[in-house]
Amino acid sequence: MSVKVKFYSLFKINLKSSGKEYQIDGEITVTDLISMLDDDYDGYFSHKLLDAGEIAPGSIILINGENVIHIDGLDSKIKDGDTITLFPPSAGG
Amino acid sequence: MGKIYEYNVLRVDLTNEEIKREKIAGEKVKKFLGGRGLGSKILYDEIDPTIDALSPENKLIYATGLLTGTAASTGGRYMVITKGPLTGTIASSNSGGFFGAELRFSGNDIIIFEGKAEKPVYLSLKGDKAELKDASHLWGKGVYETTDTLIEEFGDEKARVSCIGPAGENLVKFASIMNEKDRAAGRTGVGAVMGSKNLKAVVVKAEEKQVEYFKDEMMEVVRKQTKTLKEDGVTGEGLPALGTKVLDNIVNSHGAYPRNNFQYATFDKVDEVSGEALVEKGYLQGNKGCYGCPIRCGRDTKLPNGQQGEGPEYETGWAFGAQCGVSDLNAIVQANFLCNDLGMDTISAGVTIGCAMELYEKGYVDKEEFENGPELAFGSSESITYYTRQMALREGFGDQMAEGSYRLAEAKGNAELSMSVKKQELPAYDPRGLQGHGLNYVTSNRGGCHVRGYMVSPEVLGVPEKLDPQELKGKPEWVIIFQDLTAVIDSIGMCLFTSFALGLEDYTEIANAGTEFEFTPEEMLENGERIYNLERQFNLEAGITPAEDRLPDRFDDPLPDGTFRGVNTKYREILPEYYELRGWQEDGYISDEKLGEMGLK
Repeated sequence: MSVKVKFYSLFKINLKSSGKEYQIDGEITVTDLISMLDDDYDGYFSHKLLDAGEIAPGSIILINGENVIHIDGLDSKIKDGDTITLFPPSAGG
Repeated sequence: MGKIYEYNVLRVDLTNEEIKREKIAGEKVKKFLGGRGLGSKILYDEIDPTIDALSPENKLIYATGLLTGTAASTGGRYMVITKGPLTGTIASSNSGGFFGAELRFSGNDIIIFEGKAEKPVYLSLKGDKAELKDASHLWGKGVYETTDTLIEEFGDEKARVSCIGPAGENLVKFASIMNEKDRAAGRTGVGAVMGSKNLKAVVVKAEEKQVEYFKDEMMEVVRKQTKTLKEDGVTGEGLPALGTKVLDNIVNSHGAYPRNNFQYATFDKVDEVSGEALVEKGYLQGNKGCYGCPIRCGRDTKLPNGQQGEGPEYETGWAFGAQCGVSDLNAIVQANFLCNDLGMDTISAGVTIGCAMELYEKGYVDKEEFENGPELAFGSSESITYYTRQMALREGFGDQMAEGSYRLAEAKGNAELSMSVKKQELPAYDPRGLQGHGLNYVTSNRGGCHVRGYMVSPEVLGVPEKLDPQELKGKPEWVIIFQDLTAVIDSIGMCLFTSFALGLEDYTEIANAGTEFEFTPEEMLENGERIYNLERQFNLEAGITPAEDRLPDRFDDPLPDGTFRGVNTKYREILPEYYELRGWQEDGYISDEKLGEMGLK
């Protein structure tokens, strides 16, 4: 049972990594995943993705391409085989 | 000179080689601001919207924004307003760099070019002097050489040049006007209008800066806004580091990244061509900024062969990349540099190549038409550079492509394979993945375009707040506010990217600080609405009917891949509400009453 986490933008450049794969037991939440990432990256992701316990404005967390804001926010469920994609605040045009 | 109140107009009659000076002041400036707004008002008042865009009857207007050349953050932009040859709509293209600010310093806030010169000319603005000079020796030359030659002839290395390349001379329907070599008033074919007038360039160097613009309470507001822009995650960190190309992976992950002429919405080779790849492959040398810009999103790029220039932007990288199924970043950057030197819009160029690839794939184009050129097959990196050059020079099959994807596809028997709105090629977002953005596409006053109401911001990026991209409720209001606010930003001469961190109140505050006018935020947004209505009315009078507020048939089919697989476009469900909220008639026309209310009749 595994989930794939992809890093992009400044996450990818700064961490020099394109992502990580985690083994999970059953379902976890986005909050759980951020804790797992924090353990491996010294608190980097909660610092970058969260603001006062909420998803920071402009930060993007996708489960299989869908923004978790339109699912259950930080309580959104992640299950075996899902791909989670993370972006810091970004824009262009 | 004190705070801004009036506009100095230079009227250049190319047919008779006469130059006159005029002024516009007061209410007209207050209601139309400058740049896109005031330029559109002049065009609407002075030309018949039904004329042929490439005839001498058309006018080409260079307009600085209300705050261009002041200390306002990013306040360096100028706009070119004319009737566009690609769409037949009003055309208004916006460029950064330093040319716009220099034009303002020179006291020529707006230039109106009329008629057609007998032979190639350029306009030289040196201090107070304005004169037309022979440009025969520059005709046929690229943007880079033209710029260098004109600066040398002008005798001042600080002179700024805005010019066309061979594409504009050859009346390519999507030719651009370039300044500082790599900055573009890119879309809608403004460069072809310039070419049709035998006008090669404008060169400007002011005697002295209008330093009064930098004084007093304006600087307090500027400092505050600059701080906001520098501290914001997008304008202070994301854009400087990765430029607009940060979007490749974001839009692809969202399943709205068009591939192979919008047949698909994801690209499995995106990692080869993304903004991150530009860094990882070592092409990116650093970032560059325009006049007064604390964001500095421009890309300084160098290829392994030593070629160096600016770009690619997200749109350009996508247009020559995923849109054509191409994953060779080197070739994409080369196509970008070619477009800059030849003076051609990268979005329309790339999307037209992708359209030609699908026409060939589906059997609408015979291989013989390519003559000795490479096959226009999806994924062919060779063809993106080859046909970019052919289009600009109108050689071989490129001559047909130079008419844009709509006319090409129509001539080949299937206009629906042109991914365009009002004949202008769509940018890098599949409207099935972003329903509000789809509504913006169909109601954009210059045809397929993302920068008239960038709904990607709330629907994908979560700025200023995250909206569900598939939700329809409330989207017409959002689109209208984005379109009207964008008209304000374009007209005051600031960069649209500031809107990721600044809002209506900020734009009102800086306009009040830098001008003699006192706007309320409500008045400011009403100015945007007035400008939007004016542009729409121009188009209606030009014969562009509301029936053209539509997307190509392809988008009625469900997306075959990505996050929104199975979803089609739903803009028709919300278009009537959009018309109603705009105060337009049910049929999409604008009533005399509404025009009167907006001060347009």
